Amino acid sequence: MSPFGCAREREVAELVESGQWPLAAARDVQDHVAGCRVCGDLVLVKQALGRARAETMAQPVLPSASALWWRAQLRKRNEALDKIGRPILGAEIFAVALLLVALCGLGWELRRGIDLRGWSLGGWFGALRLESLWPATWMSFEGSLWLVVPMVAALAVVSGVVVYFVSEKQ
Amino acid sequence: MARKKRLMTWGSAIAQVFASDAPAVVCPPMDSEAFAGFYERSARSLWAYLARVGGDAALADDLMQESYVRFLTAAYPADGEVAMRRYLFRIGTNLLRDHWRRQRSTSIDDVPEERFATSGDAARTEAEAVLGPALKQLRPRDRQLLWLAYAEGYNHREIAEVMGLASASIRLLLFRARRKAADALRAAPGAGAGPRGEAR
Repeated sequence: MSPFGCAREREVAELVESGQWPLAAARDVQDHVAGCRVCGDLVLVKQALGRARAETMAQPVLPSASALWWRAQLRKRNEALDKIGRPILGAEIFAVALLLVALCGLGWELRRGIDLRGWSLGGWFGALRLESLWPATWMSFEGSLWLVVPMVAALAVVSGVVVYFVSEKQ
Repeated sequence: MARKKRLMTWGSAIAQVFASDAPAVVCPPMDSEAFAGFYERSARSLWAYLARVGGDAALADDLMQESYVRFLTAAYPADGEVAMRRYLFRIGTNLLRDHWRRQRSTSIDDVPEERFATSGDAARTEAEAVLGPALKQLRPRDRQLLWLAYAEGYNHREIAEVMGLASASIRLLLFRARRKAADALRAAPGAGAGPRGEAR
């Protein structure tokens, strides 16, 4: 026998649970409980808690189930909105960072005294041509590098957002 | 369809990695009628547990509502109502623990037992007159163990699951808590019943 239990514990617990204790319990079980500390404790605690449960369960005034259900739906919806908003916020922060990089680059170029006429519309289109992506072109590109890098990055962000929304629809 | 199913499986798998409380097998969302039935069958026993262990009827009201809202927003177990009830009790247990932690940034076991004295409506019953003083002498964890085992009838594995404890430790913890509770009940003034059920 375990020091933390009694072999007849389960039998006694079932009698208490089914309401047969003490009147419908066999004499030998009653004698056992009278002499066994483990089973005595079990009966005492189980009866007290059983009564407490029955009395406590009658007390609450329960809120309506539908109110709780709608509250849960509302929370679910808000959580879903938060989840959707998080990557968009990330993209916005990234876009602002790119803008700052581009502005810094422009400021730097101006400080170096680069002729702003090079930033004409033709220059912009030149920066968007495929050859501008070649590293060799970058070397000879002077100021347009500050235009190419943010634009490529912005393109990546826009693509990411598009992919995200397509996957969200799925 | 198959692709959608695969996406849902991945989604639930990722959710389970991040939510330690998430059950192994999850149910599709419950509609309001199914929830109303489940609520009707389980709300009173959950409230009794929260009121008796937390010792405050108003707190039990709040925590019970929050438990159901969290239950509905989380992925609850698909293996029957018994498992759903167990999961609900687990949420309630975690909320009680969070509440105690918020009240004092110390361990629950360090909080004086007087803080858990039963009050409000829960203190008005006859059973409370005997049980209340006895429960006051127990630690909150012991109350949880005793209530789950002897009021709710959970077995050791289920108690371990609800309380987030190791299953092997429940037997010893329960034995100690029961002994303490029985001693307190015997010593309580107005303790009307011995093990045989007759007045002492």
